[in-house]
Amino acid sequence: MSWVQVAVNQSNEDIFDEDADEMCVVQKEWNSTMKKRLKEGFRDGVEAGKELALQEGFNQGYREGAELMVTCGQFRGTLNALSSWCHLNGHNSALSKINNLLDVVGKHEDDLLKCLNSIQQQPHVGDILNAVQDMDLSYAAPDGTKYDEVNTKKYEHVGSSAENYCRTNGEDGSLQSECSKAKLCTDPERSSLAWVKKQTVWLVEQLGLSLDVLHHVQQLED
Amino acid sequence: MAAAAAPGPGPDMFEEIVMAEHRFHGEGYQEGYAEGRHAGAAEGRRHGARHGARVGAEIGSYLGFALTWQCLLRKCTDEKNSKKRKALDSLIGMIQKFPYEDPTYEKLQEDLEKIRGKFKQVCSMLNIQSDFRVSNERSSLTF
Repeated sequence: MSWVQVAVNQSNEDIFDEDADEMCVVQKEWNSTMKKRLKEGFRDGVEAGKELALQEGFNQGYREGAELMVTCGQFRGTLNALSSWCHLNGHNSALSKINNLLDVVGKHEDDLLKCLNSIQQQPHVGDILNAVQDMDLSYAAPDGTKYDEVNTKKYEHVGSSAENYCRTNGEDGSLQSECSKAKLCTDPERSSLAWVKKQTVWLVEQLGLSLDVLHHVQQLED
Repeated sequence: MAAAAAPGPGPDMFEEIVMAEHRFHGEGYQEGYAEGRHAGAAEGRRHGARHGARVGAEIGSYLGFALTWQCLLRKCTDEKNSKKRKALDSLIGMIQKFPYEDPTYEKLQEDLEKIRGKFKQVCSMLNIQSDFRVSNERSSLTF
């Protein structure tokens, strides 16, 4: 932790107070004034930094959120269209199947939203470095064991939740690539959108719809 | 901190005090600025992701819907269906031109409203209620 943060955070302890007995009044006054300036500076700095970064962060997050969710939306829209077609053409037996698939898409959307949320609550590198320094630990952690642990976790929860994959990634990476990486770890048979796609293809065939519809469904990214 | 020692009395004392105050303020500012940038980026990203996710899900669902119906009606070449097909083509064109993922696009909200209107029009032409879930409302409320 830097000395500025120590000064700001521990207002009761005087970090400059190394030899209290010999400290004259002037010195104390001096210290308190300088600490005040330090705090004021810190506060001004936080405000300025935050203001500048808010918009940048918003833009970055917006893009990530939009690009991540558009695919789910396409599945939802496709299923809604099929549902309305079945409704208009008296294929009521297919409706419950479509609703089930819509629920799976909804669950997947939930997982992605959780993933978006958890990724932003990652501690930043500075915090971790400070914590490591404070703990006075050797900086060279055994990477191998950590990595294995992470991998085991990924496979345990495969297909169940996007959250697990993303939790293991750093904050500053692009979300798109993180979630692609997550996909690579996922058994394609159990990835929920791939499953929905397969089921939808099957449904389109059962309903005897045109090849155009089939191709549209097959073109959806999963 | 050697620099924390009070300057002794002398002609430059006041200048030294002012300089030191300035320097301490500056040091605090630097640290605070880094903290603020991090906090602001995280906060902004969280808000942005929520908005982006909502718009992305909505636009994606319109596109999936319109493309599917376009396929479903492709073989229906009669007069009644040609109007529907035209409306669908127009909706698809609007969506494909719409930079939904770009938060700096100045007509984002305006275009989104137009697309919503077109979608409603298409639904009414297809004789479909347009109030089905376009996104997972339940989750976006708790997000």
